[in-house]
Amino acid sequence: MSMDQLSIYLYVIGSGITVVVFYSYIVYLYRSEKRGEKDYEKYGRIAIDDEIDSTPVETVSDPANKNKE
Amino acid sequence: MFHWLEKNPFFFAVGVFLTIAFAGAVTILPHFNKSAQPVKGLKPYSVLELAGRHVYIKDNCLSCHSQLIRPFKAETDRYGQYSLSGEYAYDRPFLWGSRRIGPDLHRVGNYRTPDWHANHMWEPTSVVPGSVMPAYKHQFTNIADTETAYAEAVTVKTAFGVPYGDDIQPGRAAYEKVLKSKVLPEALKIATQMKNKDLIARVKAGKIPEVVALTAYLERLK
Amino acid sequence: MQSNAAMEYDYSIVKLYMWTTVIFGIVGMLVGVIIASQLAWPQLNYWLGEYGTFSRLRPIHTNVVVYGFMISGIFVGFYYSAQRVLKVSIGESKFLMTLGYLQFFLYLIAASGLVISEGMGITTSKEYAQMEWPLDILIVVIWVLWGMIMFGLIGMRREKALYISMWYYVATFLGVAMLYLFNNMEIPTQLLSGGLGAWYHSVSMYAGTNDAMVQWWWGHNAVAFVFTVPIIALIYYYLPKESGQAVYSYKLSLLSFWGLMFIYLWAGGHHLLWSTVPDWVQTMGSIFSVVLILPSWGSAINMLLTMKGEWNQLTDNPLIKFMVLASTFYMLSTLEGPIQAVKSVNAIAHFTDWIPGHVHDGVLGWVAFMVFATLMHSAPRVFKREIYSKSLLEAQFWIQTVAVVLYFTSMWIAGITQGMMWRAVDEYGNLMYSFIDTVNVLHPYWVIRAVGGTLYFIGLLMFAWNFFMTATAGRKLETEPQFRSPMA
Ligand code: HEC
Repeated sequence: MSMDQLSIYLYVIGSGITVVVFYSYIVYLYRSEKRGEKDYEKYGRIAIDDEIDSTPVETVSDPANKNKE
Repeated sequence: MFHWLEKNPFFFAVGVFLTIAFAGAVTILPHFNKSAQPVKGLKPYSVLELAGRHVYIKDNCLSCHSQLIRPFKAETDRYGQYSLSGEYAYDRPFLWGSRRIGPDLHRVGNYRTPDWHANHMWEPTSVVPGSVMPAYKHQFTNIADTETAYAEAVTVKTAFGVPYGDDIQPGRAAYEKVLKSKVLPEALKIATQMKNKDLIARVKAGKIPEVVALTAYLERLK
Repeated sequence: MQSNAAMEYDYSIVKLYMWTTVIFGIVGMLVGVIIASQLAWPQLNYWLGEYGTFSRLRPIHTNVVVYGFMISGIFVGFYYSAQRVLKVSIGESKFLMTLGYLQFFLYLIAASGLVISEGMGITTSKEYAQMEWPLDILIVVIWVLWGMIMFGLIGMRREKALYISMWYYVATFLGVAMLYLFNNMEIPTQLLSGGLGAWYHSVSMYAGTNDAMVQWWWGHNAVAFVFTVPIIALIYYYLPKESGQAVYSYKLSLLSFWGLMFIYLWAGGHHLLWSTVPDWVQTMGSIFSVVLILPSWGSAINMLLTMKGEWNQLTDNPLIKFMVLASTFYMLSTLEGPIQAVKSVNAIAHFTDWIPGHVHDGVLGWVAFMVFATLMHSAPRVFKREIYSKSLLEAQFWIQTVAVVLYFTSMWIAGITQGMMWRAVDEYGNLMYSFIDTVNVLHPYWVIRAVGGTLYFIGLLMFAWNFFMTATAGRKLETEPQFRSPMA
């Protein structure tokens, strides 16, 4: 197989995979929010409530968050 | 799986990196060998031409001139045969440019002469009224750096196997020899064709003005 | 985690970068005005001997505005907003502070070295990568330091989730690192030649078409990872914060992020249409450039919708004006780019003034406006002073908006005119115009462009004055403003 063919195969397969991953990510985002597992929109608050002593949206040392990992 | 990407900065970074790298790997790498093959009969740049190329880069002529003739009738009519990949095999770096404030120069050697360049570089408007090209008078007094050009020839010969003759060797002695036997005579020929007494005198004194080296390079573009 | 009351975000590095943003902005744009005028009036080439010609000055203009003004502005935004969205102060770690100062001083050295070497004509000639190898090495060090600081802060963070701006900063770091290394592979010529010639000279590892492919892979992605990705990081922080409105859809921002990451890189081939690179690379460059509209507009629309129900802020807050207009220009130039990448349009547009026109509606309208908003939003928090003058800010906004419009409309017309004249043939199929005809018709447009550039520069001077007065003479603030930046 020539390098040209190889790269065309790689390209087709690669973009195929990426498209699948990308769309399943969209599905994942909306599904997990619908099921109530996640709330993405709350992360938007990180920017507007950003004093050093304000409560983080998710605390690093919070055991509740550790468990989810 | 996605949960990881969002929460763990490390996996996230890897994900981003792979996404970015993928496109480059597929589009660029496979063509490296093929487009690097020189066309038949292509000679590497002589030391003088390389020095001229350095002047071209130093005065950044590529901010106004391209060296890439595209395959359209309007361009081939104006500039000649369209450019082939293999013609650039010894161009390090490539000098295609990105803007044509002035005309393409890839085949300028076919239709301009050294004495035309001498007049044009001294005062473009005297040759082409209305030209916006700056005059490059300092190139008539600045001396071209043939030593760096020679160093580059040695480097590309050693590192990339560019087919230079046996006389291109590391070291000052080899350089002095090539300078005397090849570079200066070649420069004298150009200077004579440029019909400028001053330039001829300088070359005879062993100093090659930048404009002579530059003209040697422009003459080579065919 | 200690929670003493005195703990604060540390803005000392932010301050340093603020001053370099202003200074490099003035230098870079002044040179820009000069070179624009040189095309309109060529006799202006001779005020500084060999150092004053258009061709020597042009890379100084591009490099100073990109690597001086923009990168400084991005670092202002980074050192300011990264601390805040991670809820950790860089001052909590002596080590990171030291790295930060070191990074700044190396950056100053590199930027000044760049200006001097460009002026002397020491260059590799590759656009946006003109630095010779000693500067390249310095830049790698600076970049690595930045990465260490970024990941150091991430390691210390209190906020577990990484805000979307951080995603974009991380992508900027990785993208530039990878592309920069690849593009600058070069061999110093003294190494193999037995010490002959200039010590700073080097020769590219790639030749001809390969070199071009790698270079435009970089050139294109310098646009992606310097003009786009970090600027999106800025707007995702500053617009919500200034307006007090959370991002319209956080999910959309995540999707646009991955979309942009994937597609941007494929589009690089569009700089080389009709050249000697393989056909399918060119075709893909075109196709992906068009697809790229989606994630770009995703981000831009997300920003505009963030203002939903709050459009009254647009009328009475000039900073919101800057940011909303920036998003709009972003939409304009991300639509214009793909149009130029269509092969038949590119045949006319490439090598003409339409290209610098396109670049400038992006950089003047989008990047620079965002940098101004970044500095002005941060200034009251950093200096604990009110913004010196609202009316000056308003005036700057309108002058610069007019300037951008003059700039890109004149360049559009100039570009298309020249592109059409180059290919015009008479009834016998002969070319109708000699080259110099196609240069001389551009004169009026070049004059308009120079006027537009001058107006923009005047706006910048107003900004610099306003900023300087804010930092030194603005009314003192007792408490940090939460959302809207106070201005007199
Ligand atoms: C400001 C832009 C600009 C710069 C910089 C510039 N040129 Fe030009 N050049 C032009 C223009 C415009 C023309 C067409 C009018 C003319 O011939 O003077 C031209 C024409 C030429 C021509 C004649 C080509 C032909 O087909 O007639 C040559 C050769 C040339 N330039 C070489 C150079 C070299 C070498 C440099 C660098 C030292 C340089 N130019 C820098 C704008 C520029």
